[in-house]
This record gives sequence, C-alpha cells and structure tokens, in this order.
Amino acid sequence: MNALDYFFYLFAGLTLLCGLMVVVNPFSRNPVTSAMFLVLMMVSLSGLYVTLHAFFLAAVQILVYAGAVMVLFLFVIMLLDLKEEEHRKIKLATLFLGALSVGSIAFILVKLLGNARLVSDAPSAEGSTIELGLKLFRQYTLPFEIVSLLLLVAMMGAILLSKKEIK
Amino acid sequence: MNFSLTYLELAVVALALGLLLLELWTPTALKPKLGYVAAAGLALILGWSFADTIPSESATAFSQMYVRDGLALFFKRFFLMAAILVLIMSVEFSDRIRMGVGEFYVLILFALTGMMFASSANDLIMVFVSLELITISFYVLVSFQRSRMGSLEAGVKYLIMGALSSAFLIFGIALVFGSAGTTNFDGLLQVTKGAADDKVLWLGLLLVLAGLGFKIAAFPFQMWAPDVYQGAPTPVTAFLAVGSKAAGIVLLLRVFLGAVPPVTGQWTKLLMVMAAITILYGNLCAIPQRNLKRLLGYSSIANAGYLLLGLSVLNASGCSAMLYYLAGYLFTLAAAFTVICLVARESDDISSLAGLSQRSPLLAACLTLAMVSLGGIPPLAGFFGKFLLLKSIIEQGPVNPGYYCLAGTALFGVVVSLYYYFGVIRAIYLSKEAPDLTPITVSVPARLSLGVCVIGMFYLGLFPQTALLVAQEAVSALKF
Repeated sequence: MNALDYFFYLFAGLTLLCGLMVVVNPFSRNPVTSAMFLVLMMVSLSGLYVTLHAFFLAAVQILVYAGAVMVLFLFVIMLLDLKEEEHRKIKLATLFLGALSVGSIAFILVKLLGNARLVSDAPSAEGSTIELGLKLFRQYTLPFEIVSLLLLVAMMGAILLSKKEIK
Repeated sequence: MNFSLTYLELAVVALALGLLLLELWTPTALKPKLGYVAAAGLALILGWSFADTIPSESATAFSQMYVRDGLALFFKRFFLMAAILVLIMSVEFSDRIRMGVGEFYVLILFALTGMMFASSANDLIMVFVSLELITISFYVLVSFQRSRMGSLEAGVKYLIMGALSSAFLIFGIALVFGSAGTTNFDGLLQVTKGAADDKVLWLGLLLVLAGLGFKIAAFPFQMWAPDVYQGAPTPVTAFLAVGSKAAGIVLLLRVFLGAVPPVTGQWTKLLMVMAAITILYGNLCAIPQRNLKRLLGYSSIANAGYLLLGLSVLNASGCSAMLYYLAGYLFTLAAAFTVICLVARESDDISSLAGLSQRSPLLAACLTLAMVSLGGIPPLAGFFGKFLLLKSIIEQGPVNPGYYCLAGTALFGVVVSLYYYFGVIRAIYLSKEAPDLTPITVSVPARLSLGVCVIGMFYLGLFPQTALLVAQEAVSALKF
C-alpha cells in the first residue's frame, strides 16, 4: 500500500461517513446540519477524484456542487419552514419498506461486484485541465465565446425579472 | 482562423453592448426612442451585408464550427430585416412596458445574434449554443410584462417547454456524437455516406428533429405555441413567429440536408406525415379562435407545416420554395403584428378591430393585405410561396404517390384557412357595433415599416423571378 491508497481509504471512509450523517444523524434532526454534512461529502468525493488524477473534475465538483448547488439547497431549506420535520415519528411500515429496498439494491450490488473482473491497470485518465483548456480555446473558441453572451443575457434576465418595480 | 468572416455578428454584438451602455446615460423619457437607434444600426449592418457578394464557395472559420455561404448570408439578411421591423414595432409598444425598455431592445439584439450564428452553424455544438442564446433571450422577452398575468403564464410555459426541447436536443446530440464520433457537419456527412442505417445515430437524429420541431412549432411539438403567442408582448410574438421559426428552419436545412442527407433520404415518410398533420392541426384549430394573437399562433403552426412540405421533397426546388415562402411570411406577419400592436391596446380580441376602417384606413388596408397574403390569394407574396411549395411536391408525385395526398392535404388546409383569415377582414369592415371610433395616429417610422412590408408583399407576389433566383442561389450551398 502506498500513500495514494491511504488517501483513497481516508476519502472513501469520509464520503461514506458524511453520506450516512446526511440521512441518519443520531445527534440532530436539523435539515441545515444534514445539508452541511452533504457539503462535507461533496468535498471528500472531490478528494477521491484527485486520487484518480481527475483534477479538473475535482475542482468543478467543489465549485459547482459544494459551492453553488449547496447554497441553493440551503436557501430553499431556510425559506421553507421545516419545524414539523424535526418532530416527525418514524413509522414501522416505512422502516420496513426502506430496509427492503436498500437490502435489494445492496444484494444486486454485491452480486455484480462478485462477478466483476477488476482490471489492474486502469487507463490513464483523460480530460486533464490542460487538454480541456486546449480544446476549449482552440477547437471550441466560438461556442465558448457565445456562451459568454448567453451568461450576460441570463444575468440581465434574472435582474429584470426579479427587480422591484420603481414607480 | 479567420474570424473576420463573422463580421456581421460581431457588429450586432457591438451594437447591443453599445446600446446597453448608452441606456445608462439616457434620460428615462428618451429611453423608448433607443429602439430607433437600434433599428438604424441594424439597417446599416443590413446595408453592409450587401456590400459583399454572395460567396460561391463556402468558407469556414473556427476549426469548421462556422460556415459562411449563400444560405447563411440569405438568412442573416432575413433575420436583420425581421429584427428591424420588430424593433420599430417595439417602440410603438414601449408605453406598455413598465420598466427596462432599453434592455428589451438589447435582448432583441442578442436573440438576433443567436439567430445569425445559427444560420452559420456547421457543428452540432454551435447548433446547441446558438439555439440556447435565442431561447434564453426569449424566456426573458416573453415574460417581460411582469404585471400582466398572461405574460407571466406564457413565460413559465415557454421556459418549461423550451427546457424540455433543449433536453431533447442535447440528448440527441450526445447520441449522434456517441455513434458517429464527431459533431461536425462535414464529418457527419462522411460518416453517414458510409453507414446510413446505424440505429443509435437514427435515435439521436430523431431527438434532434424533436428539439428543432419545438422551435418551429411542428406537430407533435406545437402545444406551447398558441398559449405563448397569446401571452407574450406583441413584438415578441412577432419575433417568435418569424425569427425563432426561421432559425429552426435554417437549422433543419443545415442538419438534415447539409449534414445527414443519406439518413434524411430514408425519412421522407416521417417528414410527410409531420407536415400533413401540422397543416391540418393548425388550420382546423384556428377556426374557433376569437383572440387575434392566438389565431396567428395556430396559423403559424399551419405555416410550419407548409414549410415542412419543402423539406419533405429533399431537393433544391423544395428548399428554394421554402426560402421564398419565409421571405413572404416575414413581410406578411410583420405587417399584421404592427397593426395589432397599434390597434389592440386593451384586448387582443378580434372584436377590437371593429370600426378600424374608419379609425385608420391605412391600418385596415395593411391588415387586410396581410390576411389576404396569409390566405394565399394572388397577387400577394403568400400566394406565390404556397404555389412554389405545392409545385415542388407535385413534381415529386411520380416518384412517390404519397406526395399527391400531401398536396391534397395542403390545398384543403389553404381552403380552411381562408375562412378564418376572412373572419378577421370581416371584423375590420363589416362589424356593426363599433364602441370607439377615435382615429389612430400612426408615427412616421411605423408608417415606413408598414410601407416596407406592403411593398415586400407586392414585390414578392408580382415579380417572383428575382427573389426566386436569390433563393435558388442560396440553396445551391447545400449541394444536392
């Protein structure tokens, strides 16, 4: 086992732990806490991407998911009143059905993994940041520039449609 | 990399950004007049486009993403003309826009940029990006009158349907890329020449057809059109009906006749059925309509069907007929919507046209001419366009008898459409109770744009040779 493997187990363990804490946190049933654990899960997932040499994907994972998407989640959670959620009792039937579906999916997964052959030397990761940049600024320059116009239009639209009307 | 080929688009973008800045320093009272500035700028750019001749050879730029040929130039001029007429219409409409008039004009210019890029697309990525630029500008434009429920409803409907159609399109593009290994049209032509019956490619192209079908409002992707046309601000409806539809048409030509003709050759039946049902649906559903914009929405569905007739024959005469028909459709619809914009201030009901012949004989005459042209009666543009389209499909009759059925359906549609177009004319001249007989004053630019529309309708109808020659030259870029 080399250093990379330790990092893999570290991030994989963190991802699983944080993922579990999102749904079955024994200490708190506050939705905001769950959302924060989701952020941690995203971050450790991007750590996994780094161990796979997919640096760009890791950066985008943090920027888009941990940054933008989670802010949206938090806004929605705070706008909705979720007090009731904290006091809700778990029904036995729900628990049974949940366990059944999780169990069957786990069964399929284990069966599949048992039959799978793992290739020892995976192909080197494509889509590095340099390659992506070269493609984007050489072959796809024009669409890339048009997307900048598109963002300007989207920004104008968001402001125009949400601005308070001035009398 | 010769980016100078894109000079027309760059000029429009520069105009839009300049206008956005100019708007900051313009006093509120003068802001509506910025529309004239934009229209004048576009007129200059349109004039500039005539300074260089139609290229006989197509030239590509940006690693074959962008192509400049006769077809692209034809559609660029078409879109510029449409945007000029729509901008003049918007100035007349500006008193009904509470805020952000300057941005309204700028968004029209950005949508125009998207359309112009679409006409030069030579890669599926360009198709997607330029269509998104058009559609996102329209999301905002359609819901611009935030204080009106109708506008908001139309905006939400257009947003959802537009997102759905984009999803279809991008999924299709992914499948095409997966099976052909390229998104470039030249590359796709090579691949499909080798193997035109790859089922994954077919599924991908079918989804692309669905995505573009939404844009031109062809059956079975037409359900959004009447609601959105009715709710959107009138100039936006006009631009949707002319610009967005023509952008869909040019992309259909580019993809299905430019990139994958071997596949399209096996799809004639599908295109014929689509055209026939679209014509029937549009015309039959238009009959009971009492709202002018909704009526024109259904009529635009029917017109998408007529345009598909030209596509279904897959030859040069059909395509040049399509281009000719679109040119006539531009002037006709622009005239109709300019009149609606000036007259129907409170409601868009047909009854609001009562007494128009006394309130403003000029507007009454223009709307009548537009309806007559839409109905396809000589000597106006609409007649000759329909004639050319029918001629091109009847010529193909000996090859496949189905084309005779299609021609019969189209003729039936034309006859049905006369009923509801003449209903509008009847409301103008013959309705008894006219509540309001105050004369309508028409500003000079609006008169000018109506004049251009009327001249266009008559010119295309009376002297079709020149325009047809231009259309044929443009189509020759597709290489049948």
